[in-house]
Amino acid sequence: MTHSGFVGGRRLALAFVALLGFSGLASAQDSLTPVAEQVNKKMVKLFGAGGFKGLVSYGTGFLVSPKGYILTVNNHILTTTDLRVHLYDGRFYHAKVLFREPELDIALCKIESDVDLLPYFDIEVEAKRARAEPGDWVLAASNCFQIATRDEPMSFQKGVIAALTELRGRRGVFDAPYIGEVYFIDIVANNPGAAGGVITNRKGELLGILGRELKNTLTDTWINYAVPIHAKVEIMQDEKKVSVDIAKFVREGMAGTYREGKRIKTIVDRGGYHGIVLVHNAVSATPAFIEEVHSGSPAAKAGLVPDDLIVYVDGELVPTINVFREILRQVGPGMEVRLEVQRGNRLHTIRLKLEEQPKKLSK
Amino acid sequence: MHQGLKISGRRFGPALGLLAVAALLHGASVASAQDAVLKSQAERVAVVAKVKPTVVAVFAAGGGGGGTGVLISDEGYALTNFHVVQPAGPTMKCGLADGVLYDAVLVAQDKVGDVALIKLLAPKPGFKFPFAPMANSELVREGDWSLAMGNPFLLATDFTPTVTFGLISGVHRYQYPAGAILEYTDCIQIDTSINPGNSGGPLYNMKGEIIGINGRGSFDKRGRVNSGVGYAISINQIKNFLGHLMAGIETDHASLGALVATQTEDIGLGRIIVTSILENSDVARRGLDLDDQMVSFAGRPIGSVNQYKNVLGIFPRGWRVPMEFRHEGSRKEILVRLMGAIPKEIAGGPAPKKGGPKPGIPGKKGPSGPGAKFYDPKPGFTNHYFNRVEKDRLMSAFKKHGDFSGLTGDWSMEGSIRLKKLTSESPLKINLSNEGEGLASISVGGIPYTLRPFKDTGEASRRAPEESGGLLAALWTYKGLLTLGEKAFTSDEFHHGGFEPFYPPPAEGKEPAKKADWRYPGDTEVINAKMGNYFVKYFFSRADQKLLGFEMRVGDENSDPCEVFFSDYRNVDGRQLPHRMQVTYANGHYGTLLIDRYQMKAVK
Repeated sequence: MTHSGFVGGRRLALAFVALLGFSGLASAQDSLTPVAEQVNKKMVKLFGAGGFKGLVSYGTGFLVSPKGYILTVNNHILTTTDLRVHLYDGRFYHAKVLFREPELDIALCKIESDVDLLPYFDIEVEAKRARAEPGDWVLAASNCFQIATRDEPMSFQKGVIAALTELRGRRGVFDAPYIGEVYFIDIVANNPGAAGGVITNRKGELLGILGRELKNTLTDTWINYAVPIHAKVEIMQDEKKVSVDIAKFVREGMAGTYREGKRIKTIVDRGGYHGIVLVHNAVSATPAFIEEVHSGSPAAKAGLVPDDLIVYVDGELVPTINVFREILRQVGPGMEVRLEVQRGNRLHTIRLKLEEQPKKLSK
Repeated sequence: MHQGLKISGRRFGPALGLLAVAALLHGASVASAQDAVLKSQAERVAVVAKVKPTVVAVFAAGGGGGGTGVLISDEGYALTNFHVVQPAGPTMKCGLADGVLYDAVLVAQDKVGDVALIKLLAPKPGFKFPFAPMANSELVREGDWSLAMGNPFLLATDFTPTVTFGLISGVHRYQYPAGAILEYTDCIQIDTSINPGNSGGPLYNMKGEIIGINGRGSFDKRGRVNSGVGYAISINQIKNFLGHLMAGIETDHASLGALVATQTEDIGLGRIIVTSILENSDVARRGLDLDDQMVSFAGRPIGSVNQYKNVLGIFPRGWRVPMEFRHEGSRKEILVRLMGAIPKEIAGGPAPKKGGPKPGIPGKKGPSGPGAKFYDPKPGFTNHYFNRVEKDRLMSAFKKHGDFSGLTGDWSMEGSIRLKKLTSESPLKINLSNEGEGLASISVGGIPYTLRPFKDTGEASRRAPEESGGLLAALWTYKGLLTLGEKAFTSDEFHHGGFEPFYPPPAEGKEPAKKADWRYPGDTEVINAKMGNYFVKYFFSRADQKLLGFEMRVGDENSDPCEVFFSDYRNVDGRQLPHRMQVTYANGHYGTLLIDRYQMKAVK
């Protein structure tokens, strides 16, 4: 742990160098208090639905306009008619949910009273900033565990960006409320009530929105992530694919013109035809050995043969038959997957293009 | 956290890249940046090295759990958690970073605050333990850096503490109790990694001063390991209790005698309103009423119930604190005496069978080893041995202001008195005579009052003169304290009572300032004593053990005492005596005694 602190301290000063270009070099152990105070004023404590089955009834959000628009995570606490907000100075208000975007897992709320001149994060500006990189120092702020009420400040934690990468959820194995680019952080930040909080850089500039509590059921580990403020997803509006980012959501949400789109359906249980018959799924961890290949099927055309062991699909490890089926259920007709199969002692790469299910098989 | 360690090597990649760019742009400045980094790192290493010897690895005697502590004096006094010593019992083994295992004994515990004081036994006379200074934790802010040291998972078999470095996540935090005990009020929240075994260990600021004692975390689903949310008991709270702890007292926290709630129907800022009040509480006698709005408590503005619980929780039972409230539109300020927090049956009687950790004398284990001869449990005390130590130290220092032990004969005081209700001064004469079993008399402007302290049972005599609350009896106990010391009081009813604030009222004619400004700088240490039906508390300056005043209550715990404030100390035959005494009772000033002449006789 001493080593970690050592590295941390160094890194902190280096980040400082990069940001300020030596104009105001200070000690590596400078207090982050001024930054914390500045961020805290833009944060709100939210209280809503929950309080049962391990679902907490509190959460975090932050102001995105001086007039009381609040951005937060699109989770269960918003399913209430009595959403309550505590501002940094202890003021208490009621708020309502204006818009949600499930694909970004965010929601826009508004304080129902007339307020103005509140400190806020200007999303238009924040979203244009350069992305943080792995190794950059970050500060996390949230009302995890409902430690604060009224004018008590948020909880602040420090750490580094571990990675900026895709969060890839999969049903049953690794359910994720959001699928897309995320900052993974080395802070134990995604605690109860922390979702909707922020991560910022050392200057208090917004980098991302803290995600929900998320556990990888395969490895039994908790994951700490934030949705980057530049995050972008595709949704269906009027039968058309439209790209939405957080800034657009906030801009159109505050103008009252945002149209919640339809989710682009992931194809589940409607996967295409491949013609592979796997060995009997005897135990829960049966490896994906091929028992038989239908003649004339895509698998036969691709050159798969019995006794091939499927090891990877599109670069993803396939430890069991169940995982293979889970993945293939989401691959529709006309789509191509890349398989890595072990045949004897060698690995072969095989491209498999799925087709429509033969009529007699699809019901 | 271990993931953080694994990737730590990679963090340099982009950083060094940026540094290279910066180097091109800024040339020579790079060297100074590196110097600053190295300097800051060297400072941190130096602080760790400095405080390392003060960290204590606490082990239950005979194995079975343990935790951490920190030395706060060269005599070997160390702070830890109540929940660390509870399973250990009254004696324990403590390892220091020098690799030596020391015997230790439990001195006192604060069950509500989860604090315990232990004393490591010096291996030889004159041995000085290393210790860490205590900071002013009011100055700690979120965003500050901190170091936690201790023995997580009881890793260190050679007693070398583990150090972790992190951020102060929040201050003035409130964490709910388990039943009546283990309530963390006004605590410090940290992301500095603490794990089981860190309990009781120090949280240092970057100067190596103690800002808190690490004790608990928020774990929820994560299991009892670091969840990035840990809590330390603020050292300022512990300082309030330190006098009690040093004196071996089984401490209790405070309650107000009134309940408050946030008025939530309005939007905007919350108002804290009194929703119920105990009729016989001090706060009710001072004028607080139902529906009054609490404005500030102990100098802190109150805007939420958490804030109120936070500030109430840092004080011991019996302390007086200033409080402001709004009553029917007008703002009032009072000094209120705090009541106890632990229900009587828990504090005194046998431990309840169900629910929560069992209070009472810690552990089931008896004392063992060399610490056993320093262990003397008694109702109201964790370890009364240390009460005698503190009391003897105080009384011997007090005696330096004057030795009255030969003067047990008749006493008289003459001078004048300025009663509040009169503008002019009247002649005053007081006699404290041994006649019968004792006869006290006072003449105020020619009106005589007498009291036979141990015979009269009438309330009027005991509280004479009227509206003083019992000045005559009070002076009688004062003479007893000076001449006979502990022997003047009921047997086994003369104890050190820890540290307390003391609020001498401003001299007459002076503009009354805020009540907080009355507080005697440096505070007092007190003796609680009983003489027959008179309950007395003497306030001695912590700086030089001069007697600053006292209060005396007749019988009932729920009645107001007569309060006497001393000043104008002058030398009388080589002894220091106060020549001015301000006397107050209940909500009013009774009068000011100006003594011109003391006459003190020895017994023939």
